[in-house]
Amino acid sequence: MIDKLIRPSVFLPLVSLVVVFGGWEIVGRSINPLLFAPPSEVLRQFGELLQTGELQDAAMVTVRALFLGYFLAVVVGIPFGILMGAWTRFGDILQPYLYAIFATPRVVLVPLIVVWFGIGFEARLFLVFFWSMIAISVNTAQGVRHARPDLVEVARSFQATRLQMARHVLIPGAIPFVVSGLRIGAERAIVGVIIGEMFLQIVGLGGVITKGSQELLPAKMLCAVAVIAVLGTIIVTALDTVEKRFQDWKGAP
Amino acid sequence: MKDTVLDIPAIELKGIRKTFTLSEDRDAKTVLALDGVDLKIRQGEFLTIIGPSGCGKTTLLRIIASLILPDEGEVIVEGEPVREPGIKRAMVFQTFGLFPWKSVIDNVIFPLMVRKFDAAEAREIAMKHIRQVGLDKFVDAYPHQLSGGMQQRVGLARALSTGADILLMDEPFGAIDAQTRELMQEELMKICQQEQKTVVFITHDLDEAVLLADRVLLMSRGPGRVREVIDVDLPRPRFDYDVRGHETFVKVRAHLWHELRNDLVEQRAEETS
Amino acid sequence: MKARSRKDVRRDQIVGVMVFLIIWEVSARLLDNSLILPPISAILAALWELIITGQLIVALSQSILLLIAGLIVATTIGFVLGALIARSRTAYWMLNPYLSALFVTPTIALVPLVLVWFGFGFPGRVTVVVLAAVVPILFSVASGLRDSPGDLIDVARSFGVKGEIALLFKVRIRAALPVLLAGLRLAAGRGVVGMAVAETYLRLGGIGGLIKSYGAMFQTDYVFASILPLSLLGIGIVSLIGRAERRLHWT
Ligand SMILES: Nc1ncnc2c1ncn2[C@@H]1O[C@H](COP(=O)(O)OP(=O)(O)OP(=O)(O)O)[C@@H](O)[C@H]1O
Ligand SMILES: [Mg+2]
Repeated sequence: MIDKLIRPSVFLPLVSLVVVFGGWEIVGRSINPLLFAPPSEVLRQFGELLQTGELQDAAMVTVRALFLGYFLAVVVGIPFGILMGAWTRFGDILQPYLYAIFATPRVVLVPLIVVWFGIGFEARLFLVFFWSMIAISVNTAQGVRHARPDLVEVARSFQATRLQMARHVLIPGAIPFVVSGLRIGAERAIVGVIIGEMFLQIVGLGGVITKGSQELLPAKMLCAVAVIAVLGTIIVTALDTVEKRFQDWKGAP
Repeated sequence: MKDTVLDIPAIELKGIRKTFTLSEDRDAKTVLALDGVDLKIRQGEFLTIIGPSGCGKTTLLRIIASLILPDEGEVIVEGEPVREPGIKRAMVFQTFGLFPWKSVIDNVIFPLMVRKFDAAEAREIAMKHIRQVGLDKFVDAYPHQLSGGMQQRVGLARALSTGADILLMDEPFGAIDAQTRELMQEELMKICQQEQKTVVFITHDLDEAVLLADRVLLMSRGPGRVREVIDVDLPRPRFDYDVRGHETFVKVRAHLWHELRNDLVEQRAEETS
Repeated sequence: MKARSRKDVRRDQIVGVMVFLIIWEVSARLLDNSLILPPISAILAALWELIITGQLIVALSQSILLLIAGLIVATTIGFVLGALIARSRTAYWMLNPYLSALFVTPTIALVPLVLVWFGFGFPGRVTVVVLAAVVPILFSVASGLRDSPGDLIDVARSFGVKGEIALLFKVRIRAALPVLLAGLRLAAGRGVVGMAVAETYLRLGGIGGLIKSYGAMFQTDYVFASILPLSLLGIGIVSLIGRAERRLHWT
């Protein structure tokens, strides 16, 4: 126990957290505890939000939209990406639009999404789904296109049929790219769901932030931010782990 | 395995020509890679190919493997003209060409699986060749866990498992450290002698070319042509005496270097002028 | 898998975009609802209007000023902290919790807090851009300086470069330049997003403000007309840095 605490990787972050949070507590409390939201205030607020159930309900709303949107993005994105990768011409023609969509910040599209989808669940779902789907399909297409020519040649030299080529060379070769796409897509989905909740329909964790800012309660906002960060960390870390496992599949050349 | 008039050649090349079009747009630039190659490779012969970089060695080997087709000319394997990869020829690749997502055994099984062998039988054949290259302990390892030398052993076992009489090897030991390479040269010679394989072996290494070969094919700098075919009359097995000190070895090696050097010097002169 | 020539790809893309625009124009006219889908011609007219009234120039210059200010601050902070965590384990372990937190939190969720703590003026807006852009710079500086090749350091030492600071400027930073530029490119892309967020969420201004106010008036043609330059700004900046990167590709 003591051994563990003494290790710099545990000890130093702890010291730094204690110093920073302690300082924040003292300074925040002495100036304006409501506005500067010292840790104790955030904790109190957290307990209150849990007690009223506001935070759990909000998290449920967020998670539901996030998972449904992401699920749709995966289901649509992978086949679409395969199509883009296998039919190069189609992929090439789509490329400028994908590039333009990626280059445009999502917040400024909110007015357009309002006129197209309203401010309800569909609009939020679209914000989650669409960008996530594009990230997944772009990466999938890359994976399909970038089959290693040396391995294709190996399979050909042993007279693999087209089907065998797909099953043993092209698909396994594309999987690391698809998994990267899934990770990037998840990151985009998380941001999308928060944008939708902060600017379209004020619900969920994003909604808690917006309400907190209207009530001038930074502690409340910080609670929601913390939950979002934890949620994001769990999802992205999980996908990151999967992604790393498949890195070896990319092989040397 | 001296040439008998009756013996049909393992491989016969007739007037092979190949031009590449450098892609990028239509105003095509073309590179003449092979300019009329005629060659007979005897059954059971070990032929090494040496020549300046870019002279078309790889292209020639890929044409023999029917991975690409020549613009003109014919490839005849054991008497039959071929236009597609076939079971009588197996390739060993310079960069090993192992599937990173398959274990050693699955990599070796691959050619058998492609040919729809019975699973148990395929496994047995694969195991035999994995043992032959001394990798029994690594049957279930993945390529990234193996050293370069071990990876190429897998590549060799895979080629052997096809049962092909003809092995086509493109600088197979080029990416392997010098000591491991010597060991593998020895093992390759043993295996090929045991199994009476016909081998076409590309190399950049003069010693390797002479050490392994029954005949050395020297190619001229691009457009590739056959410049000379040299017999290497050294007793086999070659690993239990000092081959490198043998008079024939020294003579052949010196001759090859002399010829190659002229080509390289000319090439340098062209590049700098 | 077949490599298509660049010319063919370009041609396909140009034809594709033209067909797309024509379909848009025709279907917008058939639909006849400029709230949902204004025709291209109306968007271009709106764009022209924005240009000749000078609104676009004003908005663009505000946006670019904000973006550049934000990127300069982000680069400075990113450099200092990145160099610190690359060269000192202590600093790394002490800063790591906050940087990881910043990395996983969507910038957008922090904007209301910035509003409360920094106000909606220029400092607040710059802060949003910095929060968006600093992480990639910081990480690229840290990894660039950490992985800087040991043999180059030895070479420099053998030629008489002495001292950690001199080594930092003479060798490490130069060796890390490609990584740093890649980080800067990512940061610029995210900075544009931060800029748009700041301009729509904090005090309206710049291109983001333009888009938001036309959105509030449901003038979809003007919304499109102002999104277009914003996207071009993003693409322009990112490809500018990308070009510099390719120039530098000696490693
Ligand atoms: N797919 C291709 N497309 C265009 N040109 C090619 C292609 N393959 C080979 N070439 C060209 O043909 C010539 C011969 O190439 P090849 O790879 O056969 O040479 P090599 O003798 O194997 O060289 P090395 O010793 O470097 O391996 C070179 O000029 C090369 O640039
Ligand atoms: Mg070659």
